[in-house]
Amino acid sequence: MSILSPEQKAIQQTAKDFVAKNIIPIAAKYDKSGEFPTVLLEASKASNIFAMAVPKEYGGLNYDALTQSLVLEEWGYGCAGMGTTLAASILSMDSVLIAGTDEQKRRYFKPMLNAQIGSFGLTEPGAGSDAAAGTATAVKKGNEYILNGTKCWITNGGFATVYVIFANTDPAAGVKGISAFIVDRGVPGFTIGTTDHKLGIRASNTVELLLKDVHVPVTNLLGKEGEGMKIAMMTLDMARPAIAALSVGLAQRALDTCVAHVHTRFPGKPFPGQTLQFKLAEMQIMVEAARDCLHQAMRLRDEGVPYSKESAICKTFCSDVAMQVSATAVSLMGSAGYTSDLGKYMRDSKIMQIFEGTNQIQRLVISRAVLAHPHASAPSTAQKAGK
Amino acid sequence: MNFELTEEQRLIGQSARDFGKEYLEPIAVELDAKGEFPKKVVQALAKHDFLGLLLPEDVGGAAAGFVSYVEVIEDLSRYSAAVASIVNNHTIAAYTIQKWGTADQKKKYLPGMAKGELLGGFAIYEHGPTPGVGPDTLVAKKQDVGYVLNGKKAFVRNAGEAGVYVVFATTDPALGAKALTAFLVKSDAIGVKVGEKLETMGLKGCPVADITFENVVLPETALLGAVNGGAAISATALAVASVAEAAQTVGIGQAAVEHAAAYAKQRVQFGKPVATLQAIQTLLAEVATDCHLARLGLRNAALLIEEGKPFEVEAAMIKSFLARLGSKMLIDTCQVEGGFGYSETMPLPRLFRDIAGTNLLDAPGDFPEKLIAASIA
Repeated sequence: MSILSPEQKAIQQTAKDFVAKNIIPIAAKYDKSGEFPTVLLEASKASNIFAMAVPKEYGGLNYDALTQSLVLEEWGYGCAGMGTTLAASILSMDSVLIAGTDEQKRRYFKPMLNAQIGSFGLTEPGAGSDAAAGTATAVKKGNEYILNGTKCWITNGGFATVYVIFANTDPAAGVKGISAFIVDRGVPGFTIGTTDHKLGIRASNTVELLLKDVHVPVTNLLGKEGEGMKIAMMTLDMARPAIAALSVGLAQRALDTCVAHVHTRFPGKPFPGQTLQFKLAEMQIMVEAARDCLHQAMRLRDEGVPYSKESAICKTFCSDVAMQVSATAVSLMGSAGYTSDLGKYMRDSKIMQIFEGTNQIQRLVISRAVLAHPHASAPSTAQKAGK
Repeated sequence: MNFELTEEQRLIGQSARDFGKEYLEPIAVELDAKGEFPKKVVQALAKHDFLGLLLPEDVGGAAAGFVSYVEVIEDLSRYSAAVASIVNNHTIAAYTIQKWGTADQKKKYLPGMAKGELLGGFAIYEHGPTPGVGPDTLVAKKQDVGYVLNGKKAFVRNAGEAGVYVVFATTDPALGAKALTAFLVKSDAIGVKVGEKLETMGLKGCPVADITFENVVLPETALLGAVNGGAAISATALAVASVAEAAQTVGIGQAAVEHAAAYAKQRVQFGKPVATLQAIQTLLAEVATDCHLARLGLRNAALLIEEGKPFEVEAAMIKSFLARLGSKMLIDTCQVEGGFGYSETMPLPRLFRDIAGTNLLDAPGDFPEKLIAASIA
């Protein structure tokens, strides 16, 4: 277990209690129905947890990155679908944190103080890993931009109050023409398309967003025209560890479920043989290593050290661990696993390797870092101290 | 060893593929969504002789041999692994009766099973650590004439649909697994209660449920094989079943990798199909390799079974191999199809859920590695 401050431990415990009370009891129901648990947003109001990443000056909880990851791990433990809702809302906020003006931040963060959520609209049917290939456009007319295009696989899209949407203000310039905009729910021409029925994280809402002549004021432009791609990449760097945190929660849950099963099936000691024991040990090794890897990246961020590579590493490693641990757990528990919640953890884990930059894209990022600095194996904190 | 199929084996495989295309492909998605037992498909399977593949001709079987059988299971699994599960669980029950049954037992059950009028089920697992042990283990108490069964079997496939179950009970709870004995129990025997159908991750349509036995009175003629000879019967039958299960894994994996390869050719990112990216090629190549090696391994085991040679170690090897790599086939092919492929409107999610059900380690105290390690001379 990583070393946490008393304050972080207290927040972690509060999150555990919240999850035990408000998430675990309803997770199976919403996984089955695929409906969005608005009841969860209601329950979150008192704790203000959707504002955990909002700075103090805007009325938020102002948690540091490590503390946020502790909360997200607990949500991932309870239900990775519901955890995805929280993570995706923070993802959209991160763009505003990075590029927003004081006024934009005030406006964008306000709904979060009331357990309302945000949504991040970058992906398009033809632009997944290749985010630069987006074809949505924004044409400036007087004091407004007029947005057109289709976004897909947008988490929280059907239930968000505020959105960060990427559209090209200068298609001739290609990726250098992509810009980021704040778009409010319900503006004319901005509609929700089909809802995806997914393999996992079914309690999270994933939709298509349709933009037909959507007018937004120029004051909704985040940063400058053409800075959209830079903002998107910085946002994803910042938000990616949230997926790692959900993954650690998922992996821990799969392991705990497996251990509980072993206790039920083999009451008393000794447990039957080293094969099973070592498989459990292997799972524990992976879960702890994943958590430590995540916490290290978060500490770098909290210390203001560049952590882009570590962000990619923790997202990749933690999601791979969640996938492997949950799949092993299903197989290990046999039919009992196949007819239990473990199947959900396995289904949920799969998306962690895919969204917010596939693990292949992460490996591209990591390999570039490694090839550029082949001897940079010393911890980044040491680099900072040396400066 | 020759890994090429004979003309006959190839043709049987082809007929299974044709059957899959005609009968399974159109219903696979709905079967998965609703999870209702596919009665009509089972009738069609019977009509096309797929329910008596391992049975001899004198009881109406196809006497196809085990290599042909696993070929059929792989080919059916390409289209619906749930239906392949129904076939496999039925077939293992029939195989067990054929191998260990008396002439009367064979005459009583096998013609109906070959015709598909009587579906089989195999009830071995329990909620305890191993069959024959645990608080709700199934106990067969010897009477002056016959036996009385009390207790529970867990996770029985084809439960509620089968007409006859091969059931394993201990005749002496003190001896536990050592006193395991096989019985043939008809589903309409008084006291046989099929529990609620369990929610499974995949293979939906092949029902799974616990079966409770309450004072089920069995005649002496229900005994299958020797008293306390059940452990040996179940070990062999489960090893045989695991080879066919491996064929399910391979069928699902092959279908998935073919779909993912086709997807990668048409999905354009960075100005070209993702199939041109080495990262994608590696994913596809590794799955195809695992699939190919698993197929060779299971064919090897199948041939040994067919020839009546020892096959248990090879069967354990393929089980161990696929327990590690079976689900990974879908973890990696899903990765190729990315966000698109995560939608249940695409085929891979169903295959992802199905494949996880084909490499379960249902005897947690008894890993396949034990047998393999002991065999290394």
